[in-house]
Amino acid sequence: MTPIIETRGLVKRYDGELAVAGIDLVVGPGEIYGLVGPNGAGKTTTMRILATLLAPTAGEARVCGIDVTADPVEVRRRIGYMPDFYGVYDDLRVWEYLDFFARCYSVPAARRAGMIGELLEIVGLTDKHDAYVEALSRGMRQRLCLAHTLVHDPQLLILDEPASGLDPRSRVEMREILRELSTMGKTILVSSHILTEVAELCTAVGIIDRGRLLRSGQIAEIERSLRATALLRIDVLSDGEAAIAWLGTDPRVGDVLAVSSNADVTRLEVPFDGPADSQAALLQGMIAAGHTVSSFGQATSDLEEIFLKVTGNDEETAA
Amino acid sequence: MTATTLPRQRRSGVREFGTSVVTIMSKELRSRFRGRRAFIILTLYLAVLALIAYGAYVGAVADATTRQTFGPDGSAVGVANRSAIVGQAIFALLSVFQLMLVAFLAPAFTTGAISLEREKATLDLLMTTPLRPGAIVVGKLLSALAFVVLMILAGIPVSALVLMYGGASVEDIIRAQVVLLVAAVGFGVIGLFCSALIKRTQGATVIAYSTVLFLTVGTFFVWRLWTAGLGGTTDGAFGVTSRAPEELLYLNPAIAMVEIVADTEITRGDMGTIMAEIRGTSGGIECEGDVCFTTDGGAVPVKGEPAVVNDCGPNERCAAPPVAAVFDPPLTETGHFLPRFALAFAGLSLLLTIASMRLVVPAGLGFNLRRRRAVPAVETQP
Repeated sequence: MTPIIETRGLVKRYDGELAVAGIDLVVGPGEIYGLVGPNGAGKTTTMRILATLLAPTAGEARVCGIDVTADPVEVRRRIGYMPDFYGVYDDLRVWEYLDFFARCYSVPAARRAGMIGELLEIVGLTDKHDAYVEALSRGMRQRLCLAHTLVHDPQLLILDEPASGLDPRSRVEMREILRELSTMGKTILVSSHILTEVAELCTAVGIIDRGRLLRSGQIAEIERSLRATALLRIDVLSDGEAAIAWLGTDPRVGDVLAVSSNADVTRLEVPFDGPADSQAALLQGMIAAGHTVSSFGQATSDLEEIFLKVTGNDEETAA
Repeated sequence: MTATTLPRQRRSGVREFGTSVVTIMSKELRSRFRGRRAFIILTLYLAVLALIAYGAYVGAVADATTRQTFGPDGSAVGVANRSAIVGQAIFALLSVFQLMLVAFLAPAFTTGAISLEREKATLDLLMTTPLRPGAIVVGKLLSALAFVVLMILAGIPVSALVLMYGGASVEDIIRAQVVLLVAAVGFGVIGLFCSALIKRTQGATVIAYSTVLFLTVGTFFVWRLWTAGLGGTTDGAFGVTSRAPEELLYLNPAIAMVEIVADTEITRGDMGTIMAEIRGTSGGIECEGDVCFTTDGGAVPVKGEPAVVNDCGPNERCAAPPVAAVFDPPLTETGHFLPRFALAFAGLSLLLTIASMRLVVPAGLGFNLRRRRAVPAVETQP
């Protein structure tokens, strides 16, 4: 089966500055793939190349097996693209806006009216059919823009930060819509700079930083691959210094850091190189040694920390 | 590929281009003609046009009673046909005013065409559709010009008032409309090109209007300065001995318009004076072949030589020095500039339109005027 998105050694250079430094990305049919990375990581550039708005400096990108530079028009027929920043036309009503784009994709007139109704229903704007586009709220515009990407029933949706600038409720709505589109058989590529935002939605994520794809795969896999060097958070009621000394004797423990300590609780952050059962053994050992542990757990259950860890590791190797 | 399939495919390409242009146009026109704004502007425009015609009438009537015509011997033969003078005055004022209006309006409708889409970040949405960049540019241009063309057409009945008085023929009025339409297209394309070239609408507007100003006024002044630099004029008249190349003025719609008006004049008016300078007849010089003479008995200036004063009375044809080699022969043809202007402007418009198409395409993503060959179909998902 042809992957919907396939890039090989994708490179984009702006005036000598490397925005995308060799990305190999494969997204299969029906996936919801989240591209996550800090601002300026190369997410938007990658997406714009896939949306045929930018030509790559080197490497190749294929959408549904079609090279984006060789035949951009055929690629455009198969994708719906929503930029991270976009405007709307003044003086157009919602249905006229969608009708215009449907005509751009040569949707026959007979099908347009019915289709616009369906799309507005999907994005929950049915009652705004005759409203002016400029009068819509930001969340509504975002949903209208999403609807416009669907007028030609594309196989692939490329959505650049579809939830940015939305309030929490609109974010949830957006997520629900994307999930629904996924069940309709669309392959979706979304980007975000917040890992938690895409984690629940996506079947796979790619963590991208400084133009390189650092990790790619299911979130659970990425998490597992990082678990070997988990960060433990331990609260000790007794003497903190003694606990640090004790922990220091264990070869699997890295540099222990006392994060905070008040009258009776000392919080320690302990880099620990071992799976879950050796973590349990460590806890037993601490208690047996007489340390009063009030709390013991993994600090890296936080997705943001995974993210920071992945991008941070890269920094070390780059340095 | 067989020979029979090729034309069919090309036709479908043309058709696809046509539908794309219509798609863009219908969207643009929908927002432009929304509400009453367009109709109010049109009404105001026609009211102003009618007022100008009336003003020209009032002014010309007073003048016409005292205006005299002169016979071939220079003696006053009587009062000119008053009605024709009124007609010519209206024709002159309306034509020049309409041209000025076109010069102001046509770029105004197009300088935002592309740059505004960039500024409002709507261009990306448009560029990711399969619409061809050429169709986008042409659609934008046509919809922008639609209103200007509508204004020109709506003004024709006002211009037709002239026919009531005489002095300008139906052909003259048609010629003036041709200049207006060609100028509207050319100025519109200049605005569009600037819009595609320059990222910001503000910059595009400045450059577009500067270009329009240069073409309508600047080229004439360059021509004058060049002519003045070419050498002495013995009698203070411009353009007598040598004139700058007239090709400079081919891209000037104002000259084409002035020529049309000047050609209708019975006695030399303002337009006639400008044209006489361009044609090299302002010194009252007439030529027959190589032999030139002055109509007022003055000297025929010859470049590089002291003026030779002919000893003959006004309008006597006296032998002048053999001047053809050093003298730019005056232009005697009427209607000289209109076809040249129309051709030059049409060429410029075509060139800039194609350049604009090229500018809209993202760099590196090949631009092709012709349709690309079809790509083998990829299996679609159920």
